[in-house]
Amino acid sequence: MTHEFSYHAPGSIAEALALLAEHGDEAAVLSGGTDLLVNIRSGLSRPRHVVDIKRIPELKTLSYDRQSGLRIGACVTMNELLSYAPVTEWFAVLQAAGVELATYQLRNRATPVGNIVTASPCGDMSSPLLCLDAEVLVVSQNGSRQVPVREFITGVQTTALAPDELVQELIVPRTYAGAKAGYKKLKRIKGHDLGVVSVALITSNGTVRVGIGSAAPTPLLLPDFACGTPAEEIQAAAANAISPIDDVRCTKEYRAFMVGVFIGRLVEEVGA
Amino acid sequence: MKRIRLTINDQLYERDVNEHRTLLHVLREEIGLTGTKEGCGAGECGACTIIVDGLPLNSCLVLAVEADGTTIETVEGEARSGKLSPVQEAFDKHHAVQCGFCTPGMLMTIKDLLRRHPHPTREQIIEGIEGNFCRCTGYEQIIEAVLDATGQLEQKGAITHA
Repeated sequence: MTHEFSYHAPGSIAEALALLAEHGDEAAVLSGGTDLLVNIRSGLSRPRHVVDIKRIPELKTLSYDRQSGLRIGACVTMNELLSYAPVTEWFAVLQAAGVELATYQLRNRATPVGNIVTASPCGDMSSPLLCLDAEVLVVSQNGSRQVPVREFITGVQTTALAPDELVQELIVPRTYAGAKAGYKKLKRIKGHDLGVVSVALITSNGTVRVGIGSAAPTPLLLPDFACGTPAEEIQAAAANAISPIDDVRCTKEYRAFMVGVFIGRLVEEVGA
Repeated sequence: MKRIRLTINDQLYERDVNEHRTLLHVLREEIGLTGTKEGCGAGECGACTIIVDGLPLNSCLVLAVEADGTTIETVEGEARSGKLSPVQEAFDKHHAVQCGFCTPGMLMTIKDLLRRHPHPTREQIIEGIEGNFCRCTGYEQIIEAVLDATGQLEQKGAITHA
């Protein structure tokens, strides 16, 4: 890495927030680094201060209970999430999408919170978390606020997070715990790759929910459907909602086509 | 500069490192352990895979300062007293090394895979090395080597390349 910066490893949230308040735009938060360090290396990101939050015990929270649902701290890695029993038992969509996120080595560093904060249209955790009505707990020196993921991601790699704010955790309510689910991701190769387009589908208590990635500036959540809705109706709603683009990975026509194909397959496999 | 302490292959190293240096660069250029390779430098190819506190990681995407206090395993720790590890021996036997650039990362990924799955199926091996590219495309030989090292290679009809 040629770009130089100062490294800070605060031991508490208060200390981290003080650093962010002091350095604002010139600070970058580091947890897994699978996006940040790549961006620093390529020159896309040039922070003067890197704030490593992994020594903050509260950010390693990973819990599940009746009242608050699933809580995923900012430093919980993808592999920790995927091996957490309540996730395998109750949140099939996180499991299905999580194993598609990068490689085993990267999942030992990459975090679900980081995936949301990066806010890439192809982030594998975005559409599943939209389906689950997940919220982001944001803290700063001025207090805390809870923002739904659908409002948190505001555009291509932009979020509602202010420079002095830190994401403490993701909160996944129990509303859709136990939902049957599937996740389909189109890739250029059989191994790990960024998604060309992806669809998450969950079904629970008579409702079908569909999330779509890489087919619009932000990940999308379609309006709810009743169980038994024909696939054609969901496909038509998706075709209206998406606004895919041509890029190095795919044409917009193929993206739109595959969204329809994946919805058809998921309706058949998950049983909407 | 920050002082860090790393235990690498059972040996303690203390170094003053620049805060922006990756663990990979410190291993190679400041500690002199050049077995670990830099391929893409962006977490795609797995050539830089090492094991940190029991977890395989891409060392190109870890800052050296982040690793302060950790215990690290690299390819240099595999052969002991001049004797190759069983997986290294199987790599040799099955010609699982062509240019050799991916080999150190492959070996560390496989070391971790065998800790989690001592007798991996062919599918588990394929999935297990998903994060390690072999641009000579010698995957079949690598898979055979792992099957052989774990006593699972069917002798009948097997290609040993020996």
